[in-house]
Amino acid sequence: MGKNIIEYRDLSIIHSHQKVLENFNLIIKEGEKVLIRGKSGTGKSTLFLCLLGLMRPSKGDVYFKDLPVNGNSVSVVRTKIAYVPQDVDVGRDSVNEFFDTIFSYNAVGFTPDFEKIQRLLEWFELDDSILKKEFKSLSGGEKQRIILILSLLLERNVFLLDEPTSSLDSSLKSKVVDYFVNDPSLTVVVISHDPQWEREGLRVVDIPNK
Amino acid sequence: MAEINLIQNIGVSGFIFCALLLILPFMVSYYFKLGIIKKSVIIVSRMSFQLFLTGLLLTVVFDINNPLINVLWVFVMLFFATYTILEGTDFKTGPFLPTMLILFSIANILVLFYFTGFIIKLDDIFEARYLIPIAGMLMGNSLRANIVALNDFYQDVKNNEQRYLYRLCVGASKKEALFPYMQRSMLSSLKPTLANMATMGIVFLPGMMTGQILGGVDPILAIKYQITIMVAIFVTTVLGVLICVIVVVEKGFDDYDLMVEDIKKV
Repeated sequence: MGKNIIEYRDLSIIHSHQKVLENFNLIIKEGEKVLIRGKSGTGKSTLFLCLLGLMRPSKGDVYFKDLPVNGNSVSVVRTKIAYVPQDVDVGRDSVNEFFDTIFSYNAVGFTPDFEKIQRLLEWFELDDSILKKEFKSLSGGEKQRIILILSLLLERNVFLLDEPTSSLDSSLKSKVVDYFVNDPSLTVVVISHDPQWEREGLRVVDIPNK
Repeated sequence: MAEINLIQNIGVSGFIFCALLLILPFMVSYYFKLGIIKKSVIIVSRMSFQLFLTGLLLTVVFDINNPLINVLWVFVMLFFATYTILEGTDFKTGPFLPTMLILFSIANILVLFYFTGFIIKLDDIFEARYLIPIAGMLMGNSLRANIVALNDFYQDVKNNEQRYLYRLCVGASKKEALFPYMQRSMLSSLKPTLANMATMGIVFLPGMMTGQILGGVDPILAIKYQITIMVAIFVTTVLGVLICVIVVVEKGFDDYDLMVEDIKKV
């Protein structure tokens, strides 16, 4: 197996005086596909937040490619990961403006060509006209697909997907799962309740109830 | 002294008549049960005392007209202005005061001496009769904008924290992710100053101009002062707002670029 991409070492998280996670250990290697399961409130999403430096663990460490996530490294770590959260707020921007903003950032460093965007829109069964629409006005499923498209446009190899398929219809769910599972170059960690993700080649990690 | 004699003195009887005017607000307060009679008596007395004291001090300072004392006076004003700004915000005063004081001093003093040196071309740019009132106008008129900028900026990020955090995750630097919030708070804090300039001379005669006209100055000279001081106030306000936003960007976020909570007043 390849290099360590993500490692949680003795991670404990206490959130508003409540233990969310205790002494959690997990190593995810390059190219691995990991499904994280557990009841809501068991701290699944906080695993992503700790890796992205959006939350500090109460105890323990998080490593990304053997680099501890801390104040010095966090901004670099963030540029290496494609994160798909459950919900994204982009204000009153249209989809196009939203993309433009993201690709204007220095650390992102490039602008995707329009053909690639079109290809992805088609693959996700969306019409070109969606680019002109206000992101806020889109349906849950449309938003989810736009965020997935953006995560793919970023051309990163590590994906953190938090319920990425919950609002998609079942044929599209399978298509998305296929895409992420079948590409050996991608390291994918997914939190999902969708049964489509429970398939061969995916390692399941159950987060215990507290 | 000839100019000063042009203005009509207000005598003891004048003050008695002035106090009699207060009966009207007292009657309103009594009828509507506003309960502000006692409060307004205290506040009017306090104001009178403060102004009387300032009048005495200014008389002495103008008389001595020593550059060092004049500049020191400006610094005392700067201190109180900075303190007042921070007291008016949701932030703890202590951690912000030193940085803000230094930055505000630089901005205000630059504009102030530019004004006395290049615009009105004083022979003595430290002359108390010009330096101190102009400094007061610059600081006093930019105060509100600074408070608005400080409060709005942090609150706006707080209200839209998820949007900010997502941008960080995608790879935006703190400054890139905060840029739209900076734009918004700057615009909203500068709006009143711009609106104020737009209506000047139509809706009201500004205080400085009124004062000069009462003092016997030719209205054309008075508007020259008014125009230049308004531009100076605008510049000071922009610089002040910029400073506020920069200080919050630097002090309001930790090494993970997350919002720091304990800089707020409890």
